[in-house]
Amino acid sequence: MTTTPTTHLTDTQTQALLLKLTVLADDEIILAHRNGEWTGHAPILEEDIALANIAQDELGHAGLYLSLAQTLGGSDPDRVAFWRGPDDYLNTRLVELPKGDWAFTMVRQFLYDTFEALWLEAATRSTYAPLAEVAAKAVREEKFHVQHTALWVERLALGTPESERRTRAALTELWPHAAQLFQPVEGEADLTAAGILPDLNAVHARWTDLVTRHLVDKCGLTLPDAPTTQPGRDTHTHHLAPLLEEMQSVARQHPDAEVW
Amino acid sequence: MTQPQSPSSDTQWPRWEVFKQDAPNRPHQAVGSVHAGDPPHALLTARNVFVRRPAAVSLWCVREDDLLTATPEELTTNPALLDSPGETGTYHVGVKRTNKRSMTFVDLSGTVQASGSGDALRQAQVMHPDVLAWMVFPESAVVRTDEDPGTVESWFAPAKDKTYKQQQHYGVIGRHVGELKRAGLMPGRAASEEGA
Repeated sequence: MTTTPTTHLTDTQTQALLLKLTVLADDEIILAHRNGEWTGHAPILEEDIALANIAQDELGHAGLYLSLAQTLGGSDPDRVAFWRGPDDYLNTRLVELPKGDWAFTMVRQFLYDTFEALWLEAATRSTYAPLAEVAAKAVREEKFHVQHTALWVERLALGTPESERRTRAALTELWPHAAQLFQPVEGEADLTAAGILPDLNAVHARWTDLVTRHLVDKCGLTLPDAPTTQPGRDTHTHHLAPLLEEMQSVARQHPDAEVW
Repeated sequence: MTQPQSPSSDTQWPRWEVFKQDAPNRPHQAVGSVHAGDPPHALLTARNVFVRRPAAVSLWCVREDDLLTATPEELTTNPALLDSPGETGTYHVGVKRTNKRSMTFVDLSGTVQASGSGDALRQAQVMHPDVLAWMVFPESAVVRTDEDPGTVESWFAPAKDKTYKQQQHYGVIGRHVGELKRAGLMPGRAASEEGA
């Protein structure tokens, strides 16, 4: 990996980076919506507030990615979020699955937060300064998210027989989808070689090590088998369409709204 | 009919008083409380609930059971509060001086060496005779955030960069109610309220 600052992107690099930023933002938007579904329903008021905070942070990260994409020639962030349908969204299935119970929500958030924190930490060393700046801003919040959700997974896994059963069930359902977070986008290898994007394989290795230490060594859980191949990010479960329909309903009813 | 709850049916987690420090040279202030299962949970939840926007550099949490509070009136009617037991050691003293900020119960004003909670309360009363209320708790009961740069960076730094949008930032959607009143477009009161 080179450490020379990248000041000029080729057209091919720009297209690949635009795609990568969209992929990253899509995961954040969909997960934020799923977390937002807990508002008013979390097990205790304090956690209701905490999860709403986390959801807002994730949405903020999506805003950072999409604003950067806009400077590279992408569309207005609101257009990207509210005017694309399920066929165009590129989020993982990990984040679009229904919110489930509290254990499901916390296990999913833990798997995602650890990925995002590690990816962002690596991205702070991007040779492309605008991306390094975005990563430096977002990684601070993400490290806190990891602490919050890691604590919850531990409490649930080591709590009552019922909470342990639910945590195991959540991990069994979610684990096969987590690997999709590490699928490179088209043209990503070139950006990684140029030091613009983090090495996804290295992030994957660190992620596996970190989540294994927490889930297995600390929480006494067993990692299920994961499928060796994953469908692409352009294939979705039937859960995404109704999510987008709800999330986008206000924007689509008021396409000319100037004040949000 | 509501039945009195037995103690075993109380599923609430313990309540923790949250103390927030806004800047290194400012006192810790009580800003409210959280329910949490254990000390790390209390701190993480306190951060999410109380450090979303305003600046902070440190958080403390103290279990409700470890706090002793009293108003002057309470001390008059129940002087036995000054005999409350507790371990010998350092106690934090907090005082409530004003009712203006309902969110803030007390500012921490320093520590005393005491033989128990009641002794600490007695010293607080002598040191700060003209306040609305006192609060004391032993140093050993305090759970604190780490002071290492990593914690400061991930727990407290993000909030400082965030702007808090005042209500008027969002403007008025539709027409202001005053405008509607002047135009005679606001519905009148219900008949039952007219003569009231």
